[in-house]
This record gives sequence, structure tokens and C-alpha cells, in this order.
Amino acid sequence: MSYREIAKSQEPRAKSQGARVFYILLFALCSMLFASAVDARVKGKCKDCHSMHYSYEGKEMTYGGRHGPFPALTQGGCIGCHGQAPNGTKSIITNGKTRIPQVLHYPVNDNLAGGNFYYVADEYNPDYSKGHNIKGISRQENPPMDVPPGFMNSILIPGGTGPAYWPGQQQLACAGTWGCHGNRTIEDPGSSIHGAHHADDSIIDGSTAGKSYRFLYGITGKEHKDWEYMATVNNHNGYKGSIDHAAMDTISYLCGECHAKFHPSPNLGGSKEVGHAYNSIWRRHPSDISFASVHGGFAGSEYQGYVTYSLEAPVAFSNPTGAEDIVNSDSVIMCLSCHRAHAGRHPDILRWDYSKITAGAGKSGTGCLACHTRKGHE
Amino acid sequence: MQKKKRLIINILFLCPLFIILYSGICIAEVGGDCDSCHALYPGMTEKPSLVKPFTYVNREVFCINCHSHNTSDTIKIIGGNKVPVVFNNIKPVYPLAGGNFHYVAKDFGDRKGHNVSGITSIDSKFRGYPPGYNRSFDPSNKGYNPGKPLACAGSNGCHGNRDIEDPFEAIYGAHHAVDKPVDGSTTARSYRYLKNTDRVKGVTGLEDSEWNWNGTSSRHNEYSSSVDVFCESCHGDFHNKNKKGKNGSWFRHPTGMPLPDKGEYAAYSIYNLDAPVSRESLPLKPSDVVMGGKDAVTCLSCHAAHSSPYDSALRWDYDNIFTGEEGKSGCLICHTGK
Repeated sequence: MSYREIAKSQEPRAKSQGARVFYILLFALCSMLFASAVDARVKGKCKDCHSMHYSYEGKEMTYGGRHGPFPALTQGGCIGCHGQAPNGTKSIITNGKTRIPQVLHYPVNDNLAGGNFYYVADEYNPDYSKGHNIKGISRQENPPMDVPPGFMNSILIPGGTGPAYWPGQQQLACAGTWGCHGNRTIEDPGSSIHGAHHADDSIIDGSTAGKSYRFLYGITGKEHKDWEYMATVNNHNGYKGSIDHAAMDTISYLCGECHAKFHPSPNLGGSKEVGHAYNSIWRRHPSDISFASVHGGFAGSEYQGYVTYSLEAPVAFSNPTGAEDIVNSDSVIMCLSCHRAHAGRHPDILRWDYSKITAGAGKSGTGCLACHTRKGHE
Repeated sequence: MQKKKRLIINILFLCPLFIILYSGICIAEVGGDCDSCHALYPGMTEKPSLVKPFTYVNREVFCINCHSHNTSDTIKIIGGNKVPVVFNNIKPVYPLAGGNFHYVAKDFGDRKGHNVSGITSIDSKFRGYPPGYNRSFDPSNKGYNPGKPLACAGSNGCHGNRDIEDPFEAIYGAHHAVDKPVDGSTTARSYRYLKNTDRVKGVTGLEDSEWNWNGTSSRHNEYSSSVDVFCESCHGDFHNKNKKGKNGSWFRHPTGMPLPDKGEYAAYSIYNLDAPVSRESLPLKPSDVVMGGKDAVTCLSCHAAHSSPYDSALRWDYDNIFTGEEGKSGCLICHTGK
């Protein structure tokens, strides 16, 4: 075969190779484009998070003084991974290929969305009014705060019914019936969240713990990939809200599962404990209502002044994308508009110091005044 | 009539052959030329005299001499007998089911396997003490003596009768005894001569005629849960499913527990030599099917009995098993959803 013939014979191949390169590049670009939506499962070495036995070279394995065995032979359980460097300041730790959000560390300005258990952790200088007293981090609070404020028996929760009774000696856990994460119809924290870290969570529909917003079973939303580290007004967590008070997938419903009397859903506190939803007397600060539903209507109200999404006083949306930078009449007030989920630097886990918010003197756009825009001085 | 008789005789004659052929089992009693094994090197035996019985010299390395090889072959022929090789001086091509002491004997380190005397020196970390040893779980009336090294057999070893301290005595005669059925009643009739002790039943199982050499999903050893009980003799704190808390089996990766028949485990349905299971009841011949809810996780699901290229004598490199990626090996054979 001559050189020409060889070249000729290779011509179609060159063409097909060109096409192949094109498709490979196209695939790579598409992969990059949709990567964040495709798969956020934990990746990396099994050994980075698990041990094969609760022993190593014949000795018991402890993590930060915590003794196991730990669920799924994880290295120290929830806190072992998510509070693995309590004396450090990192809010995200990379272990192998896995980035792990830290919920217990020395406070810095980059605390994640849920807050930081530092403020209630016994190993520091805890103030129990500043957060949830999770077993393994804090001791249980004294009565009456040993039971979740506003607790109601046997309310409807995703997957079943909440506990009929909260025993006084029952401390709050990270997950399970007595916690927030995982399937709360399952008592054991480890079992309640079993498999969630490895589940395909590209679609957050609340159908399983793994497919729920932050493994809060039944709750939906859009997860900021860095847990709001360096979040911006158009790149943040997307919280699910609903104004019909029938939805069980809102972030406020999750709070209401334990603090039922604080939530207007008929499944929870309803009108009796909370107040009527629309244009009526509220006994508690409203949640899961939109600005459109405020007394007197949205038009001409001070709430029109809350225009740009505030990371300090976030709002929920009926179909959150995490990219909303505009707040309007359909934006929904939620528990997390004012509170952190885990713990924070202010009493009542508030996002701001309530004692320093002053009507007529405070700066509009901050704290309560983010929504109540006319109560400030500017 | 005569024809019928002949046919019946022929069938009766052929039956045992068929049974042997399809059971995957061969007669394992050692036969053939005595000198092939008993005179491997000059002076191996001391000649009997009128006042002194016939004895062996260097009996502490007798096992190793027969079951080692200077090539990479893991089955060698001695006197017409196939001999499984558990220690190759050079890297074995097809390590047998128990693994190969090559990895712990060389410079790979103590963590690659059991530090058997005669192959490698005593473990520098444990100093001869089995991790997780719990005397109350060791049925041996002698018990493990950490002052002496780990041996192939005897009370400080795995094979033979662990009520007997001397390794040679512990396994004495097993190679020439009737070894079927493998019911754990004697050393010879215990799976791979793992008798344990007189007061407990030995390990039972189905012995592949080639010790899993180049085995497949349908040709391999079959394990029963008795092998976990056996491991427990020296690593008691790692097993014992009757105990709760820190002594319970869930304190460690569970063993002796049926593989769940739901969730990610249900996808493990074809027997994989890299993560074998034990059978609720031993089949008549090896099976390539894994039955969720019945077949159980065993110590040997993850570990090689002798030694492997990986730490903790694991069947795979735990440091390189990744979740959420493309791999399907190692841990992921059972944990398919990861």
C-alpha cells in the first residue's frame, strides 16, 4: 500500500476521529455543566470515613475521646466526621475526595448555614440558650428545656407519626426520632440516616433521607454546594416554603415536627396554638406565610422594602433554586429567616442580637429590620 | 437378562465416578512414594535404632518444607500428589484460597498476614499475641501461649488439634487418614484439617480439589459459619454474636450474619471469589449463586486466612476502595450501592 493509499485509507478515520474528539469534548462540557446537579454523593476512599472493625491493631478506636462503636463503623459517628477538628477553625474539611461540612469548630466568619455548635459545646464556654443541646456535644438542658419548646405529641411527620411522648431524660440527637436528620420514624440515629451519604441525591424530592434537603427526611430545597460558605445573594441555599400549610416538605415544617406549637400547619399547632394564617391575629411570629399574606396586604407595606435577598434574614420560596436574588410578595417567611438550625452566637439561636435591634434607631436591612423595613431609622 | 445385569453393574460402577466428577471433590488422602515427602532432604528422618523409635528432625518446619515452593506455582507435585503451596519465595501467580505467606515473609510488613514461625519472625507490634484474643472463647485446653510464636498447627496455630501444643503432633496422621465426610469429627475430617479441639466440632466446608487455584464463581471452596467460630478461637473479641455491646459482633464488621436480601446487598447475587460468603447449609457442589437472607458474611469474606498483599490480610486494598465512583470491587461487592 502506497503512502497515498495509506493516507486515503486513514482519511475517513481522521474524520471519524475528529467527530469522536468533538463528542468527547461535548460530553465533557455537558458533564461540567450539569455536574453539580448530577451527583453529590460522598466520594473517596471508604477508609476516610469508616473503619472495618471498631479496633485497630488490637486496640479500641476512639475519636476525640468519644467511645464507640459508631453507626456503620464510621470514624466517630456524626460528630467524628462533622466535628472532627473542634480546635480548628475550618468550616469545611477535605478528607481524600470528600468535603465534609463542619458543625463544631472555633468560630470564624465563615460559619456554615446551620450555624456552629461551638456556642453550646461543653468543651468550650457554652451558653445553652444559643443552640440545640445535641448529645455528644452538650449536656441535656434542665427542665423545662429538656423537652423541645412547643412540643406536641403524635403529630404527623414524613413517613409516619412523631413520638407520643418526649421523655424528660431523652436528649436531642443529630438524627432519628429524637433528632432532626434522617428518617424520624426510626429511633436509632444511625439507622435513620443509614445509606443517605451514599444515595444518589441529584434529585431532592424528600422521598428518602438521602434525597431530602440536608438529609432532613421529607424536606425539599436546593442545597448550596458549599453549605453557604462564601454564599452570595444569588448563590445560596434554596429553602422550601409553602403558604398553604398543608405541605410537609418545607423547612419550617421540619422545625415544627419538634416545635409544633410554633407552626401554623393544621398537622401541627394550627390556629389554636399559632393563630390564623391570613389577615388574622397571630399568637406567634408567622412562618410559612408569604409577604403577600401580611395584614393589610403587601402593596404599600414595609415589606416591599425587602427587595434583595439577605443572607442574614433569608426567605423561602415555593420552588427554590438557590439563585433567587430578588425578594417579592411571594417570598415566604420561615423559621430560618430569624434562627439558625444548629447554634449561633446569639440567644435563641437567632441570627442577630435581638437585644440590640432598636426601632427607630436600628439600621434598616439588618436583623428584624430586614423585613420590618420601616422600623429602622434609614 | 444378562444384558440388563451388565448394564446395572456398569451403572453401579460408574456412579461413584460421576459423584466425584460433579461434586468437585477428590480423594485428598495422601498416597504414593513415602520418600517424596518424608525424605525431602538428607537427615530429615533419624533412623530408628533398637532403643530409639523413628523420629523426624526439624519437625517444626516440616509443614513449611512441603507447602513452600521456589517458583511462582502454587500447586506442586510431590510423589504424584498435588500439594497446595502456601508460601512462595517469588510472587505467586494464583494464590490459593488461604492466601500466600509470601507477602508477610518478604519486606511487605507484619500487617500482611499471620506471622507463622518458620516463615517470618514474630510480629513486632503484637509480640505474638493475637489481636482480640479472649481466653474464654478459645476452646483449647492449652490456650494460646503468647510466649511462643504462632505455628501452623497446635494450640498456637490453626490446623490440627489445638489441644496439643506441638504442631507436628497436633496434625499427626491427618494426611493419611480418611478425610471424608468433612464433618469436623476428626482432624482429617475437618475442613483443611482445622479441627480446633476435641471438645468442639472442627470446621466444615466443601474443599475445592485445587484449593481455589484459578477458581471461578462456580468452582471454589464452600464455607460454613463454623469458620467464623474457628477464627473466634484466637480473635474472640472480633466475633461472638451472642455478646452485646463491645463484645458483640456488631461492634466490629458483622460476621456470621446473613447478607440482607434487600437493599444494596440484594445486588450481590453471583458468588465472587473476592468476597466469599458462608452457606447456611453446605451445598453438595460449589454454587455460583449468593442467596440474600441465607448466605452469611464471614471473616473470610474480607480476609485471607494466611496472608495477602494488603494490610490486615485483606483480600483487597482497603486504602483504594472508593465510594461514589466506578469501582465494583472489594467492599463494594457487598455494598453495591456505594
